Amino acid sequence: MARQIVHRLLISIPALLGVLFLCFCLLQVVPADPAMVIAGPDAKPETIAAIRQELGLDRSIPIQFFEYIMRLLRGDLGRSIISNKKVIEELALTIGPTVELMVGGMLIAVPIGMALGTLAAVNRGSLTDRFIMAISVAGVSMPVFFIGLILIQYVGFRWALLPFTGRTGPVWDGGLPSLILPALTLGLVLIGPIARLTRTAVLEVLGADFVRTARAKGLRETVVIVHHALRNALIPVVTLIGLQAAFLLGGAVVTETMFSWPGVGRLAVGAIVSSDFPTAQGAIMILAIAFLSINLMVDVLYVYLDPRVQST
Amino acid sequence: MSIEALEHGLVAEAPESGWLARAGVLRRLARDRVAVLAASALVFIVLGAVFAPWIAPYDPYFTDLTKVMQAPSSQHWFGTDNTGRDILSRVLYGTRNTLVLGLVGVIVGGAIGGLLGIFAAYYKRLGGWIMRLVDIMLAFPAILIGLAMAAIFGAGLSAVIIALVIATIPDVARVARGAAVGIMGQEFMEAGRAVGVSDSALIWRYLTLNCISTIFVFLTLRFGQIILIGSVLGFLGMGAQPPTAELGMMAAQGRDFLFMAPHIATIPSCAIFVIVLCANLLGDAVRDVLDPRLQT
Repeated sequence: MARQIVHRLLISIPALLGVLFLCFCLLQVVPADPAMVIAGPDAKPETIAAIRQELGLDRSIPIQFFEYIMRLLRGDLGRSIISNKKVIEELALTIGPTVELMVGGMLIAVPIGMALGTLAAVNRGSLTDRFIMAISVAGVSMPVFFIGLILIQYVGFRWALLPFTGRTGPVWDGGLPSLILPALTLGLVLIGPIARLTRTAVLEVLGADFVRTARAKGLRETVVIVHHALRNALIPVVTLIGLQAAFLLGGAVVTETMFSWPGVGRLAVGAIVSSDFPTAQGAIMILAIAFLSINLMVDVLYVYLDPRVQST
Repeated sequence: MSIEALEHGLVAEAPESGWLARAGVLRRLARDRVAVLAASALVFIVLGAVFAPWIAPYDPYFTDLTKVMQAPSSQHWFGTDNTGRDILSRVLYGTRNTLVLGLVGVIVGGAIGGLLGIFAAYYKRLGGWIMRLVDIMLAFPAILIGLAMAAIFGAGLSAVIIALVIATIPDVARVARGAAVGIMGQEFMEAGRAVGVSDSALIWRYLTLNCISTIFVFLTLRFGQIILIGSVLGFLGMGAQPPTAELGMMAAQGRDFLFMAPHIATIPSCAIFVIVLCANLLGDAVRDVLDPRLQT
C-alpha cells in the first residue's frame, strides 16, 4: 500500500511543477518592468540594469523559475501590491474558512446524495427513481450562483432566518449560523452528481453474484442493501466524488464571492480584479495544490477501501 | 448503424451508410419525448440568439433612467435593469454571447483534444508523453484556469474562451484515445498498413472518421457543463466586461439589486439554467442512443 502511495505522489510531481510554472508565468506578465518601476521615471539605464541584476531579472527564465521555487520553499510568496502585507500571511488567514466551507458542503452533499442515489437504484424505474433523477439532472444544470441567489433572497433576506454575509468566526465559536447558507449553496450543487453516480454504482452492484447469494441466504433486504450493496458501491463512488473536487473548488470560489466569505477563492477573485499579481498567484497556487491533494487523498482512500487494489 | 455494432468495438462500416445511420439515430431520438422537448427548446433558444438583432424589442445597450428596475410588464416582458435597459433584449444578446463561448470552447477544445487523443493512440511512443501532458492539464479545474487566464491576459471574453478550450481538451483527449486504441486493434487497420496506406491516410480516413461519433457524443455531453463554467466565470467578473451582455455577468450585476429588484439577477440565471438543462437532457439522450458505454 505504501508503495502505491509513493507511486501516486511521484506522478503528481509533474502536475505540481506545471501548477508552479503557471503561477510563475503569472508573475512574469506584470505589465510594467519591476526594475523600471523601482528606479523611477528619470533613472539612468545603468541604474535600471543594476536593479535588474539585484532582483535577478537578467537571468534566464529556467534559473528564475528555479529561484522562484526556492523562494516558495522558504515560504516567501512576495507582498501584496494593494495591502503591502505578506501574501503568505493573507493566505494563512483564508485557508481555514475555505476548508470549513468545503467540509460543510461535503457534509451536506455526500449523505443526501448517496441516500437519494441508493433510493433511486433500489426502486429502479419507479416514480421515486424518476423523480430523484429529474432533480439530479436539474441540479447538475444549475449555476452555483443561482442557488446562492435564491437562498440569499428568501432564507437570508425575506425570512431573515440566517446571516448571509461574512463569517462571524470558527464553527466552534458561534460561527455555525453564518456557515449554513454558504455550505448549503455549495452542497446543493453537489447532491445531483453524487446521487447520479451512486445510483449507477449501486445498480451495478445489485446485479452482482454476492448480492444474490446474500438474498438467497435469507438476509433482510436492508442488510443486503446497506452491508453488501452500498459497501461495495462505495468504491466507485469515492473515486467519482474525488472527480467532483473540481466542482467543489469552482463552487467554493463562487460561493465565497457571493457570501463575502473570507476564503482563498474570494481572495483570488479580488486580487485578479485589482491586478494584485503576487496575491493572485499565491491564491491560485494554493487552490491548485488543494485540488491535487484532494485527488491524492481520494486515491489513497481508494486503495484502503478496495482490498483488491492493495494486493496487485 | 446498429447499437450492437457500436457496442462491439465501435463501428467499422462504410461511410456510405452514414446518412442512413443518422436517420436511424434521429428516429430513435424522436421516440424519446424528453429529448424532443429539450431539442425543440434548444432550437428555439438558438434561433432567438441568432436573430437577436431582429427580434429584440429594444436596443440592449440603451439606458433609460426614467424606467429603472421596472418589474416585468407588457412593455418590458422581463422588466428593466438598474439603468433602465430592457432585460429581454439583453437576455437575447446575452444568450448569443454565452452560446458562442460554449460552442467555441467545445469545437476548438474538441478538435485539439480529439487530435491529441488520436495521435496518442497511433504513435505509441509519443502517446505516453501526450497522456502525461493531459494528466497535468486535468490537474487544473476549469474555474482555476479561467482565473489564471484572466489574471494573465486581463478579464475578458478571450480569457474565458482560452479557459474553456483548455478545460475541454484533456477529457476529450482521453475519450478519443480510448476509442482510437479500440480501433487500432481492428483488422482493417492492419490490412491498411499491410497494403501500404500512408500514415496520414490511416490517421485521417481510418482512425479519425471512426472516432468521430464517440467524440461527438462526448462533446454533446460536455456542452452544458462548458456553458455552465463559462457563465460562472462571467459571474465572477472574469469574462465579458460591461456593457456587453453576457448571461453570467448580467446575473452578477443584478446581484447588487437583489433585494430591490430580484428579477434583474434571476432572469439571466434562469436563462442559463434552461440552456444547460436542455443541453444536458439532449446530451444524455444522444448518449443513450449512440454510445451507451460513455457514462460520465
